[in-house]
Amino acid sequence: MRSRFLKIMTRLFGVAAVAAVMAGPQGAGAQESGGTLIMVVQPEPPSLASYLSTSGPIGQVSAKVYDGLLEYDFNLNPLPSLAESWEVSEDGKTITFHLREGVTFHDGEPFTSEDVQFTFMEVLKKVHPRAAITFKELTAVETPDEHTVVFKLANPAPYMIRALSGYESPILPKHLFEGTDLRNSEYANEPIGTGPFKFVEWERGQYIRLDKNEDYWKEGLPYLDRIAARFIPDASTRTAAMESGEVHFAGFSAIPNIDVVRLQEMDTIEVGTDGYSMINPMALLELNTTQPPFDKKKVRQAVSYAIDRNFIIENIFFGFGKPATGPISSNFEVAGFYTDEVKDYATKDRIEKANALLDEAGYPRGPDGVRFEIVHDILPYGEEWRRTGEYIKQALGEVGIDVTLRYEDVPTWLKRIYTDYDFDMNLNFFYQLADPVLGVHRQYLTSQIRPGTVFVNGSRYSNPEIDKLFEQAATERDPEKRSALYDEIQRILVEDVPVITLFEIGFTNVYDTNLKDAIISPLGVYASFDRAWLDE
Amino acid sequence: MKEFWKRFSRNRSAVAGLLILIAVILLAILAPILYPEDPFSLVGLPMVEPFEGFLLGTDILGRNVAAGIAHGAKVSLLIGLFATLVAMLIGILIGAAAGYYGGWIDDALMRLTELFQTIPSFLFAILLVAIMTPSIESIVIAIAVVSWPTVARLVRGEFLALRKREFVEACVGVGMSDWRIITLQILPNCLSPIIVTGSLMVATAILIESGLSFLGLGDPNVMSWGFMVGAGRTVLRSAWWVCAFPGIAILLTVLAINLVGEGLNDAFNPRLRNR
Repeated sequence: MRSRFLKIMTRLFGVAAVAAVMAGPQGAGAQESGGTLIMVVQPEPPSLASYLSTSGPIGQVSAKVYDGLLEYDFNLNPLPSLAESWEVSEDGKTITFHLREGVTFHDGEPFTSEDVQFTFMEVLKKVHPRAAITFKELTAVETPDEHTVVFKLANPAPYMIRALSGYESPILPKHLFEGTDLRNSEYANEPIGTGPFKFVEWERGQYIRLDKNEDYWKEGLPYLDRIAARFIPDASTRTAAMESGEVHFAGFSAIPNIDVVRLQEMDTIEVGTDGYSMINPMALLELNTTQPPFDKKKVRQAVSYAIDRNFIIENIFFGFGKPATGPISSNFEVAGFYTDEVKDYATKDRIEKANALLDEAGYPRGPDGVRFEIVHDILPYGEEWRRTGEYIKQALGEVGIDVTLRYEDVPTWLKRIYTDYDFDMNLNFFYQLADPVLGVHRQYLTSQIRPGTVFVNGSRYSNPEIDKLFEQAATERDPEKRSALYDEIQRILVEDVPVITLFEIGFTNVYDTNLKDAIISPLGVYASFDRAWLDE
Repeated sequence: MKEFWKRFSRNRSAVAGLLILIAVILLAILAPILYPEDPFSLVGLPMVEPFEGFLLGTDILGRNVAAGIAHGAKVSLLIGLFATLVAMLIGILIGAAAGYYGGWIDDALMRLTELFQTIPSFLFAILLVAIMTPSIESIVIAIAVVSWPTVARLVRGEFLALRKREFVEACVGVGMSDWRIITLQILPNCLSPIIVTGSLMVATAILIESGLSFLGLGDPNVMSWGFMVGAGRTVLRSAWWVCAFPGIAILLTVLAINLVGEGLNDAFNPRLRNR
């Protein structure tokens, strides 16, 4: 308990003495208390109500204020947090959590099982955007005593255990939310949780200030006195702020990749891509499988062959990314859900194969070398995606597919893909989240062909065999069997390619070398930063 | 004509402008011969420096910058020309009607013109393109819609002045139809200021198109200079040539057209020459 020792030292001798102690054993993991961490959050969050919205920047701030029942290690195994221990019943339909005692909310009220019950049954199940999938099987939360909660499930839901972090399922104070309008709570922008940092103020357009929770239940934590989340809309200004040491941390690729390449050469800056393995962003092409030419499997395979995934990663994303081999991110390898023993589309003779498949599919080259024409929609999220679209147009041109690019505003584009289905091929990316059930199933299930719902099965792929395998994988409790089911799913989907996965996007964390232990969990910047410290 | 050229060539910078403009037009015409490949095709390694295999280097995807500039010349000039023609057509019709008929027609048309003039033209163009979905046609329409009010006001002024002149009164007296008077009598007499304004409008149109493409609102299937600058700006610090050459192309072309416009003005109005 070195940190506790330091804390006492601080009280006894003041900062000077500690500085003297610190000067001694360098690099021995001697955490230093104090200091203000300045992090860039891009863009400014619309609110801090992480129970209500999954908008990207919200979690970067809210996860410092709200704890969850569990935390996770890099192998995606659950670790204790507000729940000290837990048991799953034989049939997988009952999960009992034993809650930590002596935990209080930032307003001083004690945390009890009532808060957990209220959070899951009254808030998350009702208003959280992902709850329809995550907590589909959750029927009741019982509270036998103040420090025990029992989750009752209709069917086993092995994926649910990975959705209980402070980011995904924040534990809210019942006494402040009960009986209020959840969608317009006064605590949406002034959160009160049990986490290591307390919300202090939000200066719109400038920063959010969080101060250390002196009564945090983790002894001696957090190390930091304060976190300031700054909002800097202009990309080059963010880079300059990072370069000059004005800010310590920028996650979620807030610094453009081209600048990251330059900044990582500096002695004062480090770059990492860890901490996104519970988010797992995957770039992909959705193909309209209900109409020519993409109703033909051979055409879909030909397109997958024709695209050089490494070219996109190296030249457009400056090396931050990894070629996809199938529908599931390789980050799931640690959980046993990933296999690369599938059809390989990155072979040396891939262009010949693509041409042969297109010939076989009944699309010979015309006199001008063109087989057929398609329109390619590009997700309107910025320059890299446009470049990717431009590259795909060229790559497909090489095998005789004449591509016209279309670039629209976000609402028009979403309506075209997920309501009108008026498209041929769409460039997009999906978060695969912490478990394939949460992020992958929605893209392939027949039941997820839901006109008007965005980021679901826009390809309108429907395969009863796949539906059945996904259903089994969602409720299978034996890890070995579940893993085998996903292997089978990947083999079928890579052969069938209703969606061409391109690459796993490598979001970057850029940070000052003085900042230590910030990214220590698969949740990355969506974790609490309770162990982060500044070596200054 | 000889007299006209003599007056035009007295303005040295106008001649220089004309030479640059002819060069750009030649480049646009010769683009398919010089660079028969699609300017979007990936011809080499990404970000090759100028003169190392490619005259002006390659961009981040390995596209030939020189080919982009040649093909972009055609696009920029055509968009400039067509947008100006459409704007002229609308402007002349509205201006002529307002100036010739006067009264409530004039009031109504001029209030409409003012309505358009109150909206900042570039923002208006962005809005129109965003609504119509970026394509060559929507860009031409957007530029024309924001440009016609200037022409309309100019034409109206000229018509108001000429309307009361004897030769027009005479035409009315002999029973000539309004349409014939407008097109055959008055319009030819105010052609010179219209041509000068039009030539300057081509330059403005090219600038608006470049601005739209720079902001990512260009036609994604068409190579243009503004697009090249916009796509290259992210790598400005590591590959300056991707932005710099198309930027210079825009600068020279717009400058040349402005100089030619000045020269035309001098040539049409010899008495103003010694201002």
